[in-house]
Amino acid sequence: MTRLIPYLLYLLLVGLHQVILKDVTMIYNATINLPAFLVLAIAIYKSETSSIWFGFLVGVVMAGGMHYRIGWHALILASLALAAFHYRQRLNLDSMYSRVMLISGGVFVHNILSLVVNQPDAFIYQLWSNALLGAVYTALVVWVFFLFKDGKITFQKFKAIF
Amino acid sequence: MGWISNSITRQRRTLHFGAVILLSGILAIGGTPINRYVSQVVFTGFYYPFFKIRNSVEELYQVSQENYRLRQSLVEASVTISMNEETRRENDRFRSVLLYDPPPGYTLLPAKVISVYGNRLPILATINRGAHDSVVVDQPVINQEGLIGRVVTVTPDYATVQLLTHPANRVAARVGESREMGIVKYSADEGMTLDNLPVQSTIAAGDLIISSGLGGIYPAGLIVGTVIEVTRPEDEPFCRVHIRPLANFNSIEELFILKVVN
Repeated sequence: MTRLIPYLLYLLLVGLHQVILKDVTMIYNATINLPAFLVLAIAIYKSETSSIWFGFLVGVVMAGGMHYRIGWHALILASLALAAFHYRQRLNLDSMYSRVMLISGGVFVHNILSLVVNQPDAFIYQLWSNALLGAVYTALVVWVFFLFKDGKITFQKFKAIF
Repeated sequence: MGWISNSITRQRRTLHFGAVILLSGILAIGGTPINRYVSQVVFTGFYYPFFKIRNSVEELYQVSQENYRLRQSLVEASVTISMNEETRRENDRFRSVLLYDPPPGYTLLPAKVISVYGNRLPILATINRGAHDSVVVDQPVINQEGLIGRVVTVTPDYATVQLLTHPANRVAARVGESREMGIVKYSADEGMTLDNLPVQSTIAAGDLIISSGLGGIYPAGLIVGTVIEVTRPEDEPFCRVHIRPLANFNSIEELFILKVVN
């Protein structure tokens, strides 16, 4: 049961992001795609089963406000998690940049698929202004996250700059 | 039965993904009660607490903004009130001046005090009237309370008034009741006094002291002050008379120069 607590916290984090952080961190219509980032990160570090079910639940939570699209979002994120897991098995992900690339690519694909589900009418316009910019923005955040995770940046080093 | 469990174990991944596809498929059929129920559960469990936090923060921010605006309004209102209060006081002073008739042969030239000089009490005051306004040396200066002093220096735009509190200032005065004459002067030790009044004088505390018109500077009848104490030393020929000036020299603002009508 205790194994599920981190996943529950991640789901709460998705809720927090959807309600508060998404608007707060928005830059020129580009938002951080935290749900996709979390699903892909879980796919990189955890088992296949965990990734698929976590992707499904994140999709459900993410689309909680749009009940007629819940299924599509759940399916997209579960599939993304499965694909990311198999990529991870076939690629050398020791390199930080390969992980960043995998997650950025996954986020971009998720942004595109979300556009297809949510706003098919404005797809071409939103593709560049929302999907690509959002993926780049998320990639930057992911890069900083992995810099901290791999110990390339620590708070001590950060403080030493000043 | 063994082959079934082996098969399940081998196909575990496929089964999990199949279950996910099945559930997603069920949820993808929009508008069903299941969708609404799931949406409600997600909203209640994962969104609602954060919506409450967000609303509270927004409300707090709005209250803070409103508080800031109200504080600004309060400051503006206080400034307006104090300005109105000042205008009312000025109005009161001007009304009291309007009731004042200058001595015959004189007109009033209003002036504003722009600076004062003195240690404990002001002894000199600079006013915003000068030679361009026909101000000349030795013109008497009054306010609505009484005699203030006389002009001692004049520049084209400004003039300096020597106040009654100046140690060098002397006013030829008389007692309002008995018409006895003396000299009003001011010293830092004794304050304002009326000198040269014989001990036989009938002067008493409360008597009004006015200018006598002698000396050629101050016209007769200008109020200088009231007697607060009279002592008659046995071995001296003159009384010691202490006077309280009617004018408050610490609060002089608008003054009036008495100009002789040509």
